[in-house]
Parts: sequence; C-alpha cells; structure tokens
Amino acid sequence: MRLNLVLIMLMSMLCIPAAAQLRTGASLPKLTLTSSEGQPIDLASFKGKVTLVDFWASWCGPCRVANKKLVKLYSKYKKQGFEIVGVSLDKDKAKWRDAIKKDKIAYVQVNDPAGFDAKSAVTFGVENMPASYLFDASGKLIAINPSEQQIINEINKAK
Amino acid sequence: MKTIYQLLLLTFAVFLPSASAYGQIQKAEIVATGLTCSMCSNAINKQLKSIDGVEKVETDLNTSTFTVILTPYNTITPATLKNSVEKAGFFVGSMVITLSLDQVVPKDNAAVEAQGATLVFVDSKEKVLNGQTRLKIQDKGYVTQKEYKKLQKSYSKYPTYSVENEGDFHVKVI
Repeated sequence: MRLNLVLIMLMSMLCIPAAAQLRTGASLPKLTLTSSEGQPIDLASFKGKVTLVDFWASWCGPCRVANKKLVKLYSKYKKQGFEIVGVSLDKDKAKWRDAIKKDKIAYVQVNDPAGFDAKSAVTFGVENMPASYLFDASGKLIAINPSEQQIINEINKAK
Repeated sequence: MKTIYQLLLLTFAVFLPSASAYGQIQKAEIVATGLTCSMCSNAINKQLKSIDGVEKVETDLNTSTFTVILTPYNTITPATLKNSVEKAGFFVGSMVITLSLDQVVPKDNAAVEAQGATLVFVDSKEKVLNGQTRLKIQDKGYVTQKEYKKLQKSYSKYPTYSVENEGDFHVKVI
C-alpha cells in the first residue's frame, strides 16, 4: 500500500512537465537552425564570443521596436567580437525575410517556424517576446533579458 | 396600457430562464486586450488549452484573435473563457461564440439556453436562426470599457442588461 503511494507520487512527479527554462550558468545549447541565407547554424558554435540570443517574430510589435536597438548595438560592438543571433518564431518565412530587410538587421538570423511551440523556444523557456539571453565568452548564460548596459559591460570584460 | 405592457415585459425579463431553445457552444473567437501585446505572450494560449472541453486553440496573428475550438458536449460557458484570459493577465476585448441553433427567432429579450448559461438576444433582426450562428457577447467584461459605456446607454431598453447577472449573456447576431 505504502509502496503504491510512493509509486503514484513518483509517477505524478514525472508527469509534471519540467519547466525547460534555461537557468543562468547553463551552456549555449546545441541547436541547429537555418539562417536567412539558407545555412545551417548551430547555436553552440558561438561559444568563444559574447553572444546575445534574441527571440522575436515579425508580427510582435515590441520585438520590432527592440530590433532597432539591437541593430545599433551590433553595429557599434561587432568589431569587438560581439554577436547577436536572432531566432525568429515566424511560421511565415516571407514575412520574416521582409522584417529582416525592413529592420536592416545585419546580425545572424535563424528561423524556427513554430511559434511558442518551436523547439528552440521550449528549450530556452520563452513565454513572452521579445526574450533575450546573454552568454559570456565561455558560452555560459549570464542574464535573461539583460539591459543594454549589462551587455556592454560584458563585451568590455571580454576584451 | 403602455405601463402594463412594460410591466409584463419586465416580469418576463426577470423570470428569463424560461428559454425554450437550446444550443451548444462549439467555438469562441476571442480578442484579448492588455497593456502588452497579447500575441507576444504564450500565457493566454496555455490557459485556454488547459480548460477541460477545449479541443484546440488557433491564433490569427493578423487580427490578434484566439479561436477556441470546443469538444462536443462541453460544459464551457463564456465566463469560463473570460476567467482564463484574465488569469493570463489580459482582458477580453471581444468574444464571439458559435453555436448550432434550430429554428430560433431571435426576438429582443428572448433567450436561448446554452450549457447552463442564458443567452439573451439584443439588437435583433428577428430573422430565423438555423444551424451555425455567430453571436457577439455584449456584456461588461466581454467588450472594451469604452464600448460598454456606450452600450449601457443604448441597452437601457433591455431590463436584464444593467443587472449584470453572471449567468446571463446579452448577445447580438452577427
């Protein structure tokens, strides 16, 4: 009887979907997605550089506002080895490409066309957009939704 | 004579659940509002999907509409859906329900019973309803605040509207 109870408890624990949110200290996950240029890109390959992984979608208004800031930040710090990887959750690739052009995005763009159900979104634990994840040069997650100053500090630290 | 008529109407309206027709809600189209972009959050989707009787939730990004498909014989009322949107931290800006009706004449103040909720017709054109019918809920909490203020004035002719009874929904055929 007691064993049954323990078993039930264990089962119910297994049934609770583990919040797959990346925690600070986690490594850049190995996840390959297709870039806007049609190339396969593995997120883990950015290890070695301060990298911001930014989740967005063309239809997400606040994301498009954030894109403008990221474009500026990237053009200012790319020479210091700073990288941004935009992960779009757009299901409509044409709209994604249009948005890249319109927002004049020069950093790496990949597409995971399944909205919040996308594997990348689930791996990172994205529940709201925009959502960004800052990894240090050793590939460890150091902040979720960092401020611009936090990003700049990290870039300067890596010099 | 007129007062007697009004009195009769009021009595009828107060004892509303004398609905003779029944319907089953099959679908609901919800537009959520809030301080942030409702489509940019996964919360509403998750809340709606967790309701017993919800088969699936589709999102239309162009119209910011959540379409909730319900299972046959579900017991979901508009209030269940509204509560779930509010639990996710948003408000309902509009809710249109689809139900199958059989030869219902939507006279003003006439009612249809649906899963225990009473649907009262307003702004009706008295055209016989048959088959799939879309009804827009006009009550407080189901329209924007601004809309509600307007409706409060124009719907003063419907005695049950201002009562804000939780189980009564005032619906307009669309």
